[in-house]
Amino acid sequence: MGIQITGLRKSFAGKQVLAGVDLTVAPGEFVAVLGANGSGKSTVLRCAVGLQRPDSGTVDIDGGAAMVFQQIHLVGRRSALDNVCSGALGRLKLRQSLVFSRDIRREAMDCLDRVGLADRAGDRAGRLSGGQQQRVAIARALCQRAKVILADEPVSALDPSAAEQVVSLLASLAEEGLAVLAVLHQPELAQRFAHRIVGLNQGKVAFETTAAAMDTQAVNSLYEGAR
Amino acid sequence: MNPPTRKAPSPVAFIVIAVLVGVHVLAWQGTGFSPGALVEGWRGMADFLDQAFPPDLGVLGDSLDAAVITLYIGLLGTTFSIPFALLLGVLASRVTTPNSWTYQIARSILSVLRSVPDVVFALIFVTAVGLGPFAGVLALVFHNTGVMGKLWAEAMEETDPGPREALRVAGASGAQTAVNAVLPAVLPQMVGLLLYRFDVNVRSSLVLGLVGAGGIGFLINQSIKLFRFDQMVTHIIVVVIVVVLVDQFSAYVRRKLAT
Repeated sequence: MGIQITGLRKSFAGKQVLAGVDLTVAPGEFVAVLGANGSGKSTVLRCAVGLQRPDSGTVDIDGGAAMVFQQIHLVGRRSALDNVCSGALGRLKLRQSLVFSRDIRREAMDCLDRVGLADRAGDRAGRLSGGQQQRVAIARALCQRAKVILADEPVSALDPSAAEQVVSLLASLAEEGLAVLAVLHQPELAQRFAHRIVGLNQGKVAFETTAAAMDTQAVNSLYEGAR
Repeated sequence: MNPPTRKAPSPVAFIVIAVLVGVHVLAWQGTGFSPGALVEGWRGMADFLDQAFPPDLGVLGDSLDAAVITLYIGLLGTTFSIPFALLLGVLASRVTTPNSWTYQIARSILSVLRSVPDVVFALIFVTAVGLGPFAGVLALVFHNTGVMGKLWAEAMEETDPGPREALRVAGASGAQTAVNAVLPAVLPQMVGLLLYRFDVNVRSSLVLGLVGAGGIGFLINQSIKLFRFDQMVTHIIVVVIVVVLVDQFSAYVRRKLAT
């Protein structure tokens, strides 16, 4: 099932941010969400992962959801490997999370390998480039063993080539069977890599289309409406 | 074009200044502050200095031995407070302890430990374990736990909330987040604060010596009681050298950590 969001509504201080959002992502599917700032994109993800409580609506997640953030949020002083290991904390006891066991480290190594950074496992996360850091954060999400990956503007802080690499990585994870829901600010990246594209405008789904059928006009209107 | 005219100072500013001046006048009277007495009493100081110089270097060996004890008191007083300061610091930091009861209790314990001066702790422990350096170590451990625990708790609260949020979303508990996101991020600041406290504690242990807790402070106290001001000066020279060395060392390590 992946993730199924139905009738999501949320207001902040009387201002409606989400006005009934429906969204589904199946396993193996990569769905990109486009929309202007303030259209409610991030709020959808934050409600889905439990960082915010929706006023109404339901979120059904199959097999747990992991979150990837725009600001990446790694512990810069720890090694890439330790950062990835910490994705497993949810299933570890406190005493197991003081020093990570060999099994966890091996699993984390596999996750780093999947994002192509096994050779940087011992480097401090803070020493890596922005794109590499975001890939480490994705490996941390993988180490959480979630079946759904939610990415909140994962490439907005990255240069174009690193951004492309990260989005293509998310696409390949979808190929491997994960349900991937990513908020993007670059329609062209969405069109190249995502299966489906959802346009969000003023807290509502303005359009939903396959990448192949994406209408540039409709995408532009998302951003014009906000001005 | 004319620059904007400067606003006239508000009446509040005048009131604040008047109150500050008033408080200083009261303090002047309250402390019996009297430069005249200092001028009239110059002869007493001259006598004192006459007896103090030249310093009696014959006690240099004893002085150095006692200075080492003073360093030991400062060292153990600092390191033995680490586990207590760490535990109470984690419990007294909002980012690692969401439970407000635990947080308030830990903060209260730290406040009490911090507000009782180490000299008072030393007097208490001297009655329990007798005169000597051990009482000084105990006094420093108690007081330093209060100060360092608070400094550490504040350093933890200043860490970037992002990694904590990321681990929370991944299902980590508060304690797991503390160990895996907060402590690794705050470690350099904690070590810096630890060295700063070592520096302060070595200086405090001098004062503790004056109340009988061993070390070079004890020798200074004795030489004053015996009117051997020439010996006292030797001890004070050693103290100055030790304090400067410790200060330089801790500043050097903290500089290294910052880069």
